Amino acid sequence: MIQLVDVSKNYGTAEIVHALKHMCLSIDRGERVALMGPSGSGKSTFLNLVCGLDEPSTGSIKIDGIELSSLGDDARTRARREKIGMIFQTFNLLPTLTAIENVSLPLRLQGLSRRETEERAGKMLERVGLKKRATHRPDELSGGERQRVAIARALVFRPPLLLADEPTGNLDTATGEEILDLLEVLHREFNSTLLLVTHNEYAAKRCDRILTIRDGAIIGEEFVEHAQHGSD
Amino acid sequence: MLGALWFITFRQWHSHRLRVFLTVLGIALGVSVFFAIRTTNATLLDSLKLTVEKLAGKATLQVTSGESGFPEEILDKVRATPGVKIAEPVIEVVAHTQFEDQGTLLILGVDTASDQKLRDYQFDRSKTDVVDPLVFVAQPDSILISRAFGDKHGLKVGDKFPLFTSRGRKEFTVRGTFKPEGIGQVFGGNIAVMDIYSAQFVFDRGHNFDRIDVMNDPAQTVEAVQQRLRESLPAGIDVAQPETRGQGLENTVAAMREGMLVTSFVALLVGLYIIFNSFLINVNQRWKEIGVLRAIGLERRNVTLMFLGEALVMGILGSIVGIVGGYYLASAASGLMGSAVASVYGLVSTPERAIFSWNYAITSVVLGVAASLIGAWFPAHAAAQLDPTMALHNIESRKREAVLGWIRMAAGVLLIALGLVLIRWTPSTVGIKVQFVFAGLMLAGLTVLLPKFVQWTAQALRPMMSHFGGSEGALAVDAMIQAPRRSSATVGALMIGLMFVFSTGAFIQSYEGVMDRWMKRMLNSDLIVASSQLLRSPTYHFSEELGTKIGAIPGVKIAENVRFAVIPYANDSAALIAYQMKDFMDRVGYAVDDGDEKVAREKMPLGEGVLLSRNFSARFHVGLGDTLRLQTPTGPLERPVLGIMDDYRSEKGTIFMDRALYKQYWKDDSVDFIDITLNAGVDPLLIKQQIERLTANQEHAFVYTNAEFRGWVFGLVHQFFLMNNIQLIVAILVATLGIVNTLIISVSERRREIGIIRAIGGLRAQIRKMVLLEAVAISIVGVLTGAVAALFNTYFMVHTVGMALAGYTVPFFYPWLMILVTLPIVMVISLLAGWWPARRAAQVKVIEAIGYE
Repeated sequence: MIQLVDVSKNYGTAEIVHALKHMCLSIDRGERVALMGPSGSGKSTFLNLVCGLDEPSTGSIKIDGIELSSLGDDARTRARREKIGMIFQTFNLLPTLTAIENVSLPLRLQGLSRRETEERAGKMLERVGLKKRATHRPDELSGGERQRVAIARALVFRPPLLLADEPTGNLDTATGEEILDLLEVLHREFNSTLLLVTHNEYAAKRCDRILTIRDGAIIGEEFVEHAQHGSD
Repeated sequence: MLGALWFITFRQWHSHRLRVFLTVLGIALGVSVFFAIRTTNATLLDSLKLTVEKLAGKATLQVTSGESGFPEEILDKVRATPGVKIAEPVIEVVAHTQFEDQGTLLILGVDTASDQKLRDYQFDRSKTDVVDPLVFVAQPDSILISRAFGDKHGLKVGDKFPLFTSRGRKEFTVRGTFKPEGIGQVFGGNIAVMDIYSAQFVFDRGHNFDRIDVMNDPAQTVEAVQQRLRESLPAGIDVAQPETRGQGLENTVAAMREGMLVTSFVALLVGLYIIFNSFLINVNQRWKEIGVLRAIGLERRNVTLMFLGEALVMGILGSIVGIVGGYYLASAASGLMGSAVASVYGLVSTPERAIFSWNYAITSVVLGVAASLIGAWFPAHAAAQLDPTMALHNIESRKREAVLGWIRMAAGVLLIALGLVLIRWTPSTVGIKVQFVFAGLMLAGLTVLLPKFVQWTAQALRPMMSHFGGSEGALAVDAMIQAPRRSSATVGALMIGLMFVFSTGAFIQSYEGVMDRWMKRMLNSDLIVASSQLLRSPTYHFSEELGTKIGAIPGVKIAENVRFAVIPYANDSAALIAYQMKDFMDRVGYAVDDGDEKVAREKMPLGEGVLLSRNFSARFHVGLGDTLRLQTPTGPLERPVLGIMDDYRSEKGTIFMDRALYKQYWKDDSVDFIDITLNAGVDPLLIKQQIERLTANQEHAFVYTNAEFRGWVFGLVHQFFLMNNIQLIVAILVATLGIVNTLIISVSERRREIGIIRAIGGLRAQIRKMVLLEAVAISIVGVLTGAVAALFNTYFMVHTVGMALAGYTVPFFYPWLMILVTLPIVMVISLLAGWWPARRAAQVKVIEAIGYE
């Protein structure tokens, strides 16, 4: 699903900062991968590159077989819209839109009819348990509810890749766990690939693989055995 | 503390230079229009005063009687009045030459034997060997010209040049020139002097003088002599100091001046909305900063002070820029106002440079700063009320904008209703300033309702925007529906500007409709001969002889001589029109709107009554059946008012009387218009050609067919309402600035939102389209709100302003067509205004915008 070959990212001209150094990585479809590392280790740079918000200085990034670095801005944006769902620590909902309007936004940008967007967004909100809060605006929702709206928005296109940047970082423990449960269920339901950037070891351990990044390079990789994979 | 706050503010300015620039520009534009209009007016007044003073020479008092002049015998009475040292008669005429440019010349007819005691003629003795050129001027064909006029037209002593006089075209010989000093500077040197008795003859003044210039005995005060003259002369004769005459002349264009002043206040008001908008968004941008400052111990009071201090500095900066811009604008506008004054004075010297008045500069700074502080007050107060814990949260935590509650709605409706009731029921005697407060109440009501109106209209627009603009169109309108306050200030700026444009347009169109109906009824002669291109000349008139000659042309049924003079009345002035009443009443079908037509037809031709225009009646409170008392140069005249007419010739009001009665009391038989009625079947164009042949090289006459005359009058009406075009330009300029300002600020404020949309898949083109469509939506809502506001303001205009400025009320007229035409224009301007902000929005860097850490 995700393939990074010798990816480097450098910033600055006079004094060059090597944010990512010759990174090679492959993540399979349906896999759940956690990326851990201290602040400044290169996690955000990595995430920006994978979702196409930034371009690598060298190397190649493929998402679902598409070479991101070969695409122009518009094509990259379309790829982000259709193939990548993004969840942020700070939710990043539009404050003036209601929950359902926030969820339907990517569909509207795709040019779908209002009826279709609302129908699909409504179903997605129902799926994250917020049907009754559909017409509420972000300031009327709790932190957990906001993150559920953000998850619904990320998944409304049923993208093959879900990127979550510290999704529980702004939530209390109980709510954070609820969000992780929801992500796990939806991941299974949509068979999407999940890349989770987190500081939270507990959250990381719910993934299949944990990558540790430091100073722009992956320095550790741990596969997690789950006791109950059960029937999935 | 203040130093630290200023430091923070300065840093903010540095990072938001464009916002600061646009806000300062908003203030500057409002101030510049205000300062320019005041300065233009002051410049013009100064020019008029200076002209009058130079023409007056050493005279300390001037004796006049409106435009009609007065009999020569008055001079003896003046000279016999104790305290009068010198009294010199004057004839003043603006005559036409045949020179292509500068075709008019101010002729001063003076007593050549004695006038040098009063006026200092700086003769150019190098150009003539005559010791005293004035003596030679006593010859009837002699004239003295200024050196400037001579140089301009290649005239030297001994040369001849033609002038159109009331007795036809006559050749005059240049007997001398005077230097470009003192009187020689008046009207840019377009001045000439001739003997008063020659002037009386050639300009058909009979045995009348236009003016007597008086110098008092230094042992007595001017006021004492003035008082004594007033007591000894007939009441129809005015005695004034020269400096106040300049003011009096300037007052003749009071309606235009007041209209321009309203325009300047509109500009300031629109500027106020821009400032409000700018500061509101400034507070939103600094949401987190305010939270941090409050968290580390800054008191609410100081938060308010920080923003108000910023407003103060911006206000001062904007005002200074506005004054500089306004000064140059005034220099350019002086010519425009000058030509308006020329229409009443006949000739005016356009000042080369505008006068800089510290008084107006300080007033402008005070107004600019006040507008800035008022505009910033609410946002500053809102900033101080921010809850620091909330402010430090993310954007999702921000409270939704306070929904416009029913109390505010009720207050808005109540204010509008109150304004309407006061306009409808308060007597006009309260004065225009109080009446403007009523309009202010309606405006305040509309402003209170504005966010709700923006929300409603945006909701109504949504299907259309979504249909034509796709998801970006819907998103653009959604922003207005969800956050109506964000767009309200810009919509408000558009609303105010367009409201004034629409309602002034409505007033003009209604006025033109009334004028058209009135002209069809009253000005229905087949041909009209006029003495000036500016409807009439206050100084140049025809003699009755021309009317007789025209009456003798085969095919001409009747040639009516008409005198139109402005006379003093009740410490003001009014127009007096003297018709050959029988001919006039036969021609117009019915003459009186209020009153007994039969009685009027019977008594008016006998001079046994007068008719009044409705605005005269309203302005001076003289009604049907009352007795009108006039002070004429030969004594008081009292006649009953036999009828009231709708007439629009003078904003001061008009008195109609029989020509014979006028001639008897004013001793004036001059003619300003000749109304010609033709025999049935006669071609007016044929007769027009014959009259033109008759007057060619003889009279300075303009011959119009009825249709031409009506078109010509409409042209002059349009020229008078030129301020409306200025208003339109100012409104569009300021509104464009408002849209650019709002969109740039909106893009800046919504940077994070734009970043989020880009992050979840919004294309650059979609962002661009969204911002442009938001500009279009703002313009549509602005035009709609302007149209609603115009409904109320037009009522104010037709009911109150028309009456206050011109004494007319005109029927209510709603300018649908104008609004429809304005809509696409404003939409295109909005698109242009939105282009750069849209480009900026599309270039937002997603990672920075959404604040990845």
